[in-house]
Amino acid sequence: MSNSYTITLEINRYDPDTALSWIQTYKVTVGGMLRFVDVLRKINDEQDPTLAWASSCEHAQCGSCGISVNGKPLLACELLVKDAVEQFNTHTFRLRPLTIAPVLRDLVVDLEKAYDRVHKAKPYLIKPAPPQPDGDEYRISPETLETYSEATRCINCFCCATACISSHDHFLGPNVTMANIVRLMDQREMAKEERMDILYREDGVYRCHTARACSFVCPKDIDVSHFLALGKEGKF
Amino acid sequence: MGKTLTIDSTLRCDVLVIGAGGAGLRAATAICEQIPAKKIIALTKLTSPQKSHTTTAQGGMAAVDPKDPIDRPIFHMFDTWKGSDCSADQNVIKKVCEMGWEEVVWLEKHGMHFSRTEEGRIAKRPFGGHMLNFGDTKAFRACYEADRTGKGIMDTVWSESLRYGVSFFGQCVATELLLKDGTCIGAVIFRYPEGKFLAILAKATIMATGGNTRMYQVSSNCRGNTGDGLALALNAGLPVMALEAVQFHPTGMVGPGILASEALRGEGAILRNKDEEPFMERYAPTAKDLAPRDLISRAVVQEMREGRGLFHEGHNAPHVWLDLRHLPKEVHEKKIQEVCSFFKRFVGVDPEKDLCPVTPTAHYQMGGIPTNEFGEVQSDTQSIVPGLFACGEVAAASLHGLNRLGTNSLLELITMGRVTGERVVEYLKDAKKPEDLPPDAEHIAFNQFSTYLNARGKEKYGQIRDTLRNLMMEKVGIFRTEESLVEAIESLRELKERAMHVAVGTTSLKANQDLWQIWELNNLITVSMVIAQGALMRQESRGGHFREDYPERSNEFNYHTLASMPEFDTVTFGKRPIDMSIFEAKGERFELFDYIKREY
Ligand SMILES: Cc1cc2nc3c(=O)[nH]c(=O)nc-3n(C[C@H](O)[C@H](O)[C@H](O)COP(=O)(O)OP(=O)(O)OC[C@H]3O[C@@H](n4cnc5c(N)ncnc54)[C@H](O)[C@@H]3O)c2cc1C
Ligand code: SF4
Ligand code: SF4
Ligand code: FES
Repeated sequence: MSNSYTITLEINRYDPDTALSWIQTYKVTVGGMLRFVDVLRKINDEQDPTLAWASSCEHAQCGSCGISVNGKPLLACELLVKDAVEQFNTHTFRLRPLTIAPVLRDLVVDLEKAYDRVHKAKPYLIKPAPPQPDGDEYRISPETLETYSEATRCINCFCCATACISSHDHFLGPNVTMANIVRLMDQREMAKEERMDILYREDGVYRCHTARACSFVCPKDIDVSHFLALGKEGKF
Repeated sequence: MGKTLTIDSTLRCDVLVIGAGGAGLRAATAICEQIPAKKIIALTKLTSPQKSHTTTAQGGMAAVDPKDPIDRPIFHMFDTWKGSDCSADQNVIKKVCEMGWEEVVWLEKHGMHFSRTEEGRIAKRPFGGHMLNFGDTKAFRACYEADRTGKGIMDTVWSESLRYGVSFFGQCVATELLLKDGTCIGAVIFRYPEGKFLAILAKATIMATGGNTRMYQVSSNCRGNTGDGLALALNAGLPVMALEAVQFHPTGMVGPGILASEALRGEGAILRNKDEEPFMERYAPTAKDLAPRDLISRAVVQEMREGRGLFHEGHNAPHVWLDLRHLPKEVHEKKIQEVCSFFKRFVGVDPEKDLCPVTPTAHYQMGGIPTNEFGEVQSDTQSIVPGLFACGEVAAASLHGLNRLGTNSLLELITMGRVTGERVVEYLKDAKKPEDLPPDAEHIAFNQFSTYLNARGKEKYGQIRDTLRNLMMEKVGIFRTEESLVEAIESLRELKERAMHVAVGTTSLKANQDLWQIWELNNLITVSMVIAQGALMRQESRGGHFREDYPERSNEFNYHTLASMPEFDTVTFGKRPIDMSIFEAKGERFELFDYIKREY
């Protein structure tokens, strides 16, 4: 292997049958081009088949594989070993599950529960504008679309929500709030009042302290806090 | 004998959707639009339907606006027929191509964020094999949302289903189809977090579990695309159709095979060999880099075989180049933003400045569970299985025959999803509530899971998985021969045997990833066996199925293969005729819908 690395992973373990938690250390030698999901797979194959972690698309498009590495929430499928060594300037990595939902086992959290919040943002069009008379699509200029299309790239990985300094219990979270703001900016949505209620409810946008952790960690490079700021200013 | 497995509880609903991806949820919304009060349960292996693999589709969805001054639905029908190498069903082609635009407008009306033209209309881009005037010149036919069209579609059908109150069951697998006297009455499912089995009884069941190419070493498919749906059908004694038709996409990123969409070539990217020669000009003088995928994938392998490929050190794998350097900055930044970021992140190259290393990647299953043009599952050419429907990639209606054109799958999900949903609405009118299951019923999954939980051998899951993936890539891949296939079938028998002796890491049932993956591995081996046997049987080359020992298409094989597997490795074959109804209707240019020669 052209450039191989010997790295140490210290991983939070949790066994749902005994409710025991502990930290387990694994040492592996791997190629620099491997992703963290490949490293975890290698640990399963060669050292410990019981270690549980989550992924699906494995190329940063589904948001299933969020974990925290040395304190930073990120996608395990897009972190290459060589980049991790460079970025964190170490060969030892501390892997923890995201804090946004209960842990099912080891690094796997119950994102199904976290999704209950996403549902609260009503990501659909609540009340669509009347259709075009000729049965065509609505007309939306590329310039208008561009004001919010970045926000539609969100994959609900909950990295931002994990990093957010506002409490999980009292705030819907950055991604969820942003999903609502997208529809406020979408000219096809007629139910603006209902959307404003969601935006300004008790656990709404004013829970955000504008510390921009969300924008900083977003693996899709979405400037989440920019959209939340638009929400606060009521600029849609 | 370890744990006794039981059904923890039984739930009832009107419609069970096994697979809440693009197709499954388009079907669900079609049902809700007509009868909103019905109880629908939609299953996914993931934590939310939004994470289904449809969300990774990049390039676009083909659809011709009937008011388009240049393009016409009949051109699209012709391209699909020709692209399939004359092996798709023309009744399905006609239906899907005629419905396409309506469904694009449906998606847009329900909130999808399609890219726009300066006039504010839905923008379109060219794609492989899609042409104007019966094969003349490239057509702008693929409607897209940047290079995340699948995400736009998935978000739309998921959120619409949510609006209608469809119940999502995540983190679970359907492990068995329940059939009673030939009628489907639901499924047994296994929940990952709690490790419990549930029975779900439904008046109608829709199979929409998606693709299955994870048995190939290089694959664009997600981790969970392990052929569960096909294995469920086979285990229930039902046939599957044309599984030998596996599509290799010519441009996977070197390494794991992450997709670099055909949209890149639609926008003007060019394939080059080690001498930087644009080699497609030699293989397809008219369509060049926009020839269909089967042709380009073979050309890429041919270049490598003749010593004009390259070798990637980091990934230890052969490749050719994809050149995007000449595309405008605006295109890099706006139209193919995601794929460019994948190249940067996963391969470490910057497509604006560097050549990008690519290699063919196993991408799509053209075959599947045979259905008629209404999404009703067939038990043979004459009969259907009451209560059972299928749509999406797991189904074969068949729109694609032995080769699919890019952007025709998203089109199929949405059109056939709706058609299937509407058929279910009809079916529900007279459908009876299924009777309770007898409490002592035997279940396939109990057998499977207790075998895995009790196995005490030395075999390792990872080794068997890797052996399988290398075997399929080498012997049942882009080029096949009788010799390679016979060898593959023999090795698959051994792998199946070995898979019985993998000792599971823990016998806990809760969130047991190892157990879940061993179950998936068995499905992969089952489906691989049918692919290999089907490929051996089909002594011709057509579309994505290429036999070096039979390099020509043969009229003898002008049919769809139906395969059943009553026991592992005993595959029996039947034939389903190809529907030629456009040809037979003798309408405009009908002669082009005959078994024509396929050149690009
Ligand atoms: C990277 C990529 C890019 C693509 N780009 C394009 C494109 O640009 N244009 C185009 O037309 N096509 C494209 N395709 C093809 C197209 O995206 C797929 O064929 C299509 O999305 C499949 O949709 P589906 O609804 O059938 O399945 P999926 O979206 O895969 O959904 C299947 C669902 O079933 C669930 N499931 C599976 N097994 C079980 C089980 N045992 N129990 C319960 N649930 C289960 C899954 O969890 C998932 O929720 C692309 C494919 C890939 C991989
Ligand atoms: S905004 Fe970014 S970090 Fe937050 S959920 Fe979406 S993709 Fe993830
Ligand atoms: S800017 Fe607001 S939403 Fe983002 S991390 Fe800070 S508090 Fe949370
Ligand atoms: S596995 Fe899909 S984002 Fe990482």
